[in-house]
Amino acid sequence: MNKRMIFTLAGTAALASVIGISRPTTVEARIKLATLPDKEAVVVRFDHPNQVLVEEERTISLQKGTNTVDFSWAGTNIDKGSIVFRPVDVNSKVEILSTSYPPGEAALTWSIASPDARSEKFRLSYLMANIQRETDYRAIVSNDEKTLTFRHYFKIRNWSGGTFDSADFITRDGKTFEKGLDQGEAKRVLVNKWDKVTLNKEYVYDLTRQREGKVMTDYVLKNTKEAGLGAIPLEYGKVRIYQDDGKGTTAFTGEDWGQFTAVGDDMRLNIGIAQDIKVEFKKMVNDVENRRGNVYDTNEVDEFEIKNFKDSEVELTLVLRVQGEWEMQKDSEGYTGFERVDNETIKFKVKAPAKGAPVKLKFHYKRLNNW
Amino acid sequence: MNRNNQLPMTNSQWSEAAGVRPQLVIGYWLLVICCSAIFAGTLSAKEELVTLPQRDSVQLTIYNSEDLTLVRERRTLSFKQGNNRLQFSWANTLIDPTSVEFHPVGKDAQEALEVLDTSYPAESHEMLIWTVACTKPAGYSVEISYFTSGISWSAEYTGIVDAAENSVDLTAYVTVTNNSGEEYENAQVRLVVGVIHMVERIIDLARPRAQGAPRPMPPAELEELERMAEDEMNEDPSTGMEKPKEIQKAGLSEYYIYTVEGTETIPNRWSKRLRSFVVQDVPLKTVYRLEPDKFGPLFTKVLEFKNDEEHKLGKEPLPDGLIRLYKDAGQGRLGYMGTLASKYIPKNEEVKVNVGPDAECTLKEKRLSLKKKDLVLNRWNQLEGWTTVEEFELEVKNFRGREVEVEIHRSMQGDFDFESDAGFEKHDADTQKVHFTLKADEQRKLAFKVTTRNGTNRRK
Repeated sequence: MNKRMIFTLAGTAALASVIGISRPTTVEARIKLATLPDKEAVVVRFDHPNQVLVEEERTISLQKGTNTVDFSWAGTNIDKGSIVFRPVDVNSKVEILSTSYPPGEAALTWSIASPDARSEKFRLSYLMANIQRETDYRAIVSNDEKTLTFRHYFKIRNWSGGTFDSADFITRDGKTFEKGLDQGEAKRVLVNKWDKVTLNKEYVYDLTRQREGKVMTDYVLKNTKEAGLGAIPLEYGKVRIYQDDGKGTTAFTGEDWGQFTAVGDDMRLNIGIAQDIKVEFKKMVNDVENRRGNVYDTNEVDEFEIKNFKDSEVELTLVLRVQGEWEMQKDSEGYTGFERVDNETIKFKVKAPAKGAPVKLKFHYKRLNNW
Repeated sequence: MNRNNQLPMTNSQWSEAAGVRPQLVIGYWLLVICCSAIFAGTLSAKEELVTLPQRDSVQLTIYNSEDLTLVRERRTLSFKQGNNRLQFSWANTLIDPTSVEFHPVGKDAQEALEVLDTSYPAESHEMLIWTVACTKPAGYSVEISYFTSGISWSAEYTGIVDAAENSVDLTAYVTVTNNSGEEYENAQVRLVVGVIHMVERIIDLARPRAQGAPRPMPPAELEELERMAEDEMNEDPSTGMEKPKEIQKAGLSEYYIYTVEGTETIPNRWSKRLRSFVVQDVPLKTVYRLEPDKFGPLFTKVLEFKNDEEHKLGKEPLPDGLIRLYKDAGQGRLGYMGTLASKYIPKNEEVKVNVGPDAECTLKEKRLSLKKKDLVLNRWNQLEGWTTVEEFELEVKNFRGREVEVEIHRSMQGDFDFESDAGFEKHDADTQKVHFTLKADEQRKLAFKVTTRNGTNRRK
């Protein structure tokens, strides 16, 4: 015996009924009419960085023998090769015999064998395109800029052509929220909130980030448990930063793109320019020496005069880069510490006293074996 | 299909059917024309037209490396004493005319029948006529074989990885797609795994008639074809329930032949996917790899198993096809992991599925220092030789709550020396590799030094 059943992806092209057609020759002919099985327990998963997996359950009335079930998804963006169709009960005696794909249709037909007449719950999993996701954050910085409250939002927009009346949306880090989502609709939900996250404020001079030589104000969050985070990797997304103004409200102080931050790494956010700190650069020495044919060394002194017009002392980080083979000379001065981050990069820490008193960083280095 | 078998036709009727009403002539036509007199050029009024019998059986042998399918069909035809003319035509299909052959089946037929000649009428590119001499009039089984283009098959695999990533339930499928212009009803289907050598493409031989795709499907035929697309019954006698067909695999020379149990009907322009095998709990290994030549420039998570008995596989090679991996997300639900377009995997070969970078295990490389030495100037005081010494550091961090394996391949160029105490070994002339395990939440730094001789300092 054979029964034919048709169901579609609910949404724009939902069918009103299920029809059967006869199967001649060796099997008993049947014509069946039945109610379209509703989608149950719909889950939309975002655990893969680039793909969205949709799962839904359907209870299908099967006759004893071979049943034909059609699934169509006209108008939606399902990757048909990704479709996995299984009974929910792992011990089910129902068998999927084959899958047929008609020409030119967003549809397929399963041939399902059942040992008896029964209602069987199936789970259908497939990759669906055009469900967009976006992560964004909102940070409320304490008035003293020592800590912040960090809210993590997940935004989805549905251009898939399908409609989700009610679905569990599961983010990459396993957070679940239940929502309905129409075609073209977007929803944004709060998925994580961390309070009293330790905040490091840094003033940074870095020509690769700010070509005009202005000093940037950065907030640095450590994605560690010690700092109040560290539960999940932080996805790439916009961070909007507000500060407690001490009067019961907040003020918007800037925004930046937060880069993907693995657990243990830092998320660095530039909130703007620190206009009260000025850096003036001068090349004091730029000599060529030790010529050997077309090979030479250079002797260079870079001087950075820093003025901090704030009422209190600040520490400035100067990120400087020198290409090729080079050595810092011992008479460099004016810093409280330095770190050779890699061959090309060196970071100096400089204390800048309050109220505009200038301080100078002398960076003396030799670039060797140039040609 | 055999819709052409009820109509004894005159030659003019045949021409009309083939030429004027091509929409109704999907397949090919076989016409037996028995002549009591010696055949003399064109067909005469003495010709006797015999009802074309149904196909007794048809077998499709489909190759995945070429657009090629060998079709063998058998029919029982009545032959009369003397010369019999058999007209075979294949309008609107993608059959290679040079491949069509006629074979009597069985000793009696082979003794009684002999093909005297094969004519290709000038007026039709889709027709031939065999002149078959018969010494003993009777009904004989004959086999007609030919190559056709437009039927293909491909393999696909779906793996469901357990939550701990220690094993995978692997299901293999074969999907047969028929764009040949012909419906083969109840065909035995054999699938060939292997690369065969062809000097010409079948689609080119099937032309010039077959320019482009076969004709579109008339809507009136769709309903019948849907019926035909349904499976032939494959009943389990113990339960009375149909069960998935088994696909038998056997080696043949450099090839493997998959034979689908029973018969299949795949209408023109339809595809059908059948389960090839299911293996539960294939042991799986997770290795984080940086191997740019195989897995791209990123440090990536690779799930690995082997096509051997230890991994509950190894009975046959795995034909090339997409491997889609899903992860058991609990409560029977799935999470998508990744897809690999796998090449042919011989028995005992490893399978490595790149599921992409993983935030829970990261790698960063830094060049800590660069120095130049052994500078050599030529007689014109121009630099002609130098040596660079570079120190690097790789930092690997495992944020997962479990031990992981890591393999890093690092390639260099030119005449270089590689020095490290971090356990690297030579992979090839330009590549060093290191393989180690990282405990849960462990971090490790690997230092290495590369000395590269350039210009006239280069020794090799």
